[in-house]
Amino acid sequence: MNRSLTYLNLTLLLLFVQGVSVAQLERKLANADRPTELTFHAPRHINLLTVEPLDKKVLHFAIMHTFGPLSGGLRNLYGLDNGANIQFSFEYAFDERFSLGASRSGRDKFYNLYGRYHLVKQTDSGSVPFSISLMGAAGVNTADYNFLQEAAPNVSERSSFAGQLMLARKFSEKLSFQLSPMMVYFTDPLPVFLIEGEQQLYLALGFSGKYKITGKSSLTLQWIPNLNNGLRNNVGVGIDVEAGGHVFQMYFVTSPALNEQYLLAGGNGVPGEEFRLGFNVNRIFATGQN
Amino acid sequence: MSGKLISFLFLVCLQLTNGANAQRYQTEDGEVVFLSTAALNEFTGESSQLNGLLDMDSGLIDFYIDLNTLDTGIGLRDRHMRDNYLETKRFPFAEFSGSLEKPGPLEFNQPIEVEARGTFTIHGKEKAMEITGTLTRLSPSEIQLETGFQVKLGDFDIEIPKLMFYELSETQAVTINAILIKADL
Repeated sequence: MNRSLTYLNLTLLLLFVQGVSVAQLERKLANADRPTELTFHAPRHINLLTVEPLDKKVLHFAIMHTFGPLSGGLRNLYGLDNGANIQFSFEYAFDERFSLGASRSGRDKFYNLYGRYHLVKQTDSGSVPFSISLMGAAGVNTADYNFLQEAAPNVSERSSFAGQLMLARKFSEKLSFQLSPMMVYFTDPLPVFLIEGEQQLYLALGFSGKYKITGKSSLTLQWIPNLNNGLRNNVGVGIDVEAGGHVFQMYFVTSPALNEQYLLAGGNGVPGEEFRLGFNVNRIFATGQN
Repeated sequence: MSGKLISFLFLVCLQLTNGANAQRYQTEDGEVVFLSTAALNEFTGESSQLNGLLDMDSGLIDFYIDLNTLDTGIGLRDRHMRDNYLETKRFPFAEFSGSLEKPGPLEFNQPIEVEARGTFTIHGKEKAMEITGTLTRLSPSEIQLETGFQVKLGDFDIEIPKLMFYELSETQAVTINAILIKADL
């Protein structure tokens, strides 16, 4: 009796084991080497561009502001009374790697044309450990200089250029970091321009950090030490918040500059006492998609 | 005693041959559509990489998709879906595994309504489900499976995004259309 029960059990076990062993399909990922996503919340991070690409045919709009120094105190509503330097930018992606953009900043009525090219993309599997992107820009200052005794500067004298390599890694779901060697060239850095630098070539190293605190918000950091001049370094700290398809970026930063050329040549206040409030809104427009 | 042993061994052999002759039909490119119908906004997430297995002998039915292949047509929405809601790095698959009520023999081009009981899993949460669908034999080696069912995101601890540029419905209508091909064993 016991024996036959044992056999019955064995038989049932066998049926069960066989059932299980051929039962399910093996679960396989469709693509085991996916590119890492959302290294940063947006193509902009405080004032610097990031490796974050745009999808093909997507238009990215950013409006950025920096206000006066906080040191003005409550009487100046911590710099808000000073008015803002405002930059609008539109960047359009022709494909997953290449995008072109145009921006206009209030300070020195500066127009900038720029492009980004995404050379290498980090993968989740670790087969590619970081992302690399390139950025280039050419800009012109269109402020009115007719008040000058001498002749107003011509277009070439008003021009400036920027180049930047962006090397980024998403270390974890929370922590991302970008290193950006930057180079800026002014054809003629006239004293009347709203920059502190007097030389033509500026070299700097940008650091951008992101630490995710909730699903849709992150603490942000920016530090841009200058490499070939005595100007003070740029420091920024802030918070990024995703809401309603927008990315809002609020920060304290030492410079009113919003484009690469002015960020490197413009000079900076003392971190802490001469921080300024800054505020960006990023918005994506998907064109040609449903 | 030895009679029992022999009968046991016989059963073993029967099982093995049974396994070898199983009527297993498989696919790797079935189509699945998640339709979200919210008050102001309707959109679909689609994938044509549904993997499925149907065993006509044992009635076993097993389907899964890699949720990373779901495409809603907007890249940013896909990224938010993967990173913030479905959390595909931790839970890459949506799966249904269960057994089919014996459908009887399938005639050519005669859709037969069938019912499957099993477990649906998404976002690491399981739920027992009964799904009805149709099976149609298209050729001696092909069976078409068509089915649709509803998934309530709340049942699987999937957060509904608030304040986003798209509105997501709490109930997703899932449609599946797959042609399964007889597997050679």
